[in-house]
Amino acid sequence: MLKCENIEFNVDGQNLFSNINLNLKPQKDLLITGPSGVGKTTLLSILCGIQKPTTGKITYNSIDLYNLPENKIDEFRGKNLGVVFQNFNLINAFTVKQNLEIAVSAINTKKSIPFFNLLDRVGLANKSHIKVANLSIGEKQRLAVARAFVGDPKWVFCDEPTSSLDDKNANIIANLIKEESLRCKASLVLITHDSRIQTLIKFSKILKLGDEL
Amino acid sequence: MIVGITIITVSITVNQVTKETFSKNNPGLDAVVGAKGSPLQLILSSIHHIDIPTGNISYQNARKIIKHPAIKSAIPISLGDNFQNFRIVGTNKTFLKLYKANLISGTTWSQPMQAVIGYNVSKITKLKINKFFVGSHGLIDTGDVHAEQPYKVVGVLKKTGTILDNLILTSLDSVWNLHSVTNKDKLEITSLLLKYKNKTSSFSFPRLINKGTNMQAASPSFEISKLLKLTGNAHRIVDYLSILIIILSFLGILFTLLNNINERKYDLAVLRTLGFSRWKLFSIILSEGMIISILGSTIGLIFGYIVYESMYYFSIVGRSLELGQLNFLNDLFLIWIIVNIIAFITCLIPCIKVYKQNIRSTLLNS
Repeated sequence: MLKCENIEFNVDGQNLFSNINLNLKPQKDLLITGPSGVGKTTLLSILCGIQKPTTGKITYNSIDLYNLPENKIDEFRGKNLGVVFQNFNLINAFTVKQNLEIAVSAINTKKSIPFFNLLDRVGLANKSHIKVANLSIGEKQRLAVARAFVGDPKWVFCDEPTSSLDDKNANIIANLIKEESLRCKASLVLITHDSRIQTLIKFSKILKLGDEL
Repeated sequence: MIVGITIITVSITVNQVTKETFSKNNPGLDAVVGAKGSPLQLILSSIHHIDIPTGNISYQNARKIIKHPAIKSAIPISLGDNFQNFRIVGTNKTFLKLYKANLISGTTWSQPMQAVIGYNVSKITKLKINKFFVGSHGLIDTGDVHAEQPYKVVGVLKKTGTILDNLILTSLDSVWNLHSVTNKDKLEITSLLLKYKNKTSSFSFPRLINKGTNMQAASPSFEISKLLKLTGNAHRIVDYLSILIIILSFLGILFTLLNNINERKYDLAVLRTLGFSRWKLFSIILSEGMIISILGSTIGLIFGYIVYESMYYFSIVGRSLELGQLNFLNDLFLIWIIVNIIAFITCLIPCIKVYKQNIRSTLLNS
């Protein structure tokens, strides 16, 4: 269970958002929406342990995220959370497969990862040895999704996964995220201002930033 | 890094081996008396067998010195010929006692034209007991030989680790016979190796010889320390130069790593988002720097040793140097450790930068 209590974030003394409270049960999906600049990406960073909130508490199955030592937060993120960033955050100098391999080495798992199956599901099986720099935007997006699910995370966060895509690719990515979440039995937290997403994925909960859930 | 460590390795090994060799070659001699000229040349030619002698002295005059009350022991030596660049030294049997030499096989000479050869001479020239060889004129092999009067090997010496290993010893009579000196009044030797009864003679005796005769007396310890002081300055300059190169290599490692992490800061931030901890990235960057440093310093050490070994085997001087017990390896190992400790400290700078990296701002700025 993901629980957020009274999350507040200030930038240069100015309040970006406050009083964010969430309670997301296992395998339930949450949509966080709102206009640009309202702090959606910042909130995602806070939920993922990348950016410490000004105040508030985030717990994953009773583990207080920001009460963990810095190194443990990184390890917790690697092992339990999958993140699809808005700008993908892929390593351009690496190949498609290497981007998945480095993600696996980060979580230090002894479990063998069926890279081919994973790449096949996202439609990149025939591009495993191509450098990321040579992929199209849609392909990068699919690779970012594949990487987020490589360690079978329990919570998956996606930041604007469809906003730069046309309807066809947006549909592919949305289906992919939903299917992979179901396969991993993960809770999905999706952040977007793209109104198409609600027609593509049915969310258990929706949070408009600034409103309490 | 490789160049710096190579230079400092060669400098240290040459310096240490030279000091060690000079020290071992002198079995407590207080003075050498020979013809007037450079005192250092006299010492180098008579004890270390590197330089050419300053000339000859009358054996009659030498006998007066041998009988002088201040002298405990005096060993005459006569140089002039060589066999395959190994010097043939005419002397008496006290010379063997001076170096505490023992025979592997055979015996010492009992008549003219018999020779006892050093360990290295036997090993390199393949001379054995009862074999004959002819000496050639001068101290370097010129091919101009005394073919009519060959020497017979009667003894082979055990290894001593001194210059004795590279000498061929024979009686003074052999040298005189070979050069057809029959008039006893005209007999000459190259020098006399002296030990005083009392160390206080080291001030008065040389003055007596230098002012009162046409000979000179030189102190081995004084001349060699003068030489080492001179070469020591040169070594120091080389050492400073190599230290400068090593410092530059540290800066090279530092800026390479800083440049690398600057170019890869986005990738490093991505790795953090994937679950790599700060410490893991810290250790990766540290490993990169230390691999460069350890490889560079080790290769430099090996190169330096190869250069030294090449110098040892291929130089003419090499014939007069003995490798000793490799005591300097401790010094080189210490330098290797110091270099890598400094490299470790240098590498901490980029590592701390990576450790302190704010992943969110890095990703946003990228």
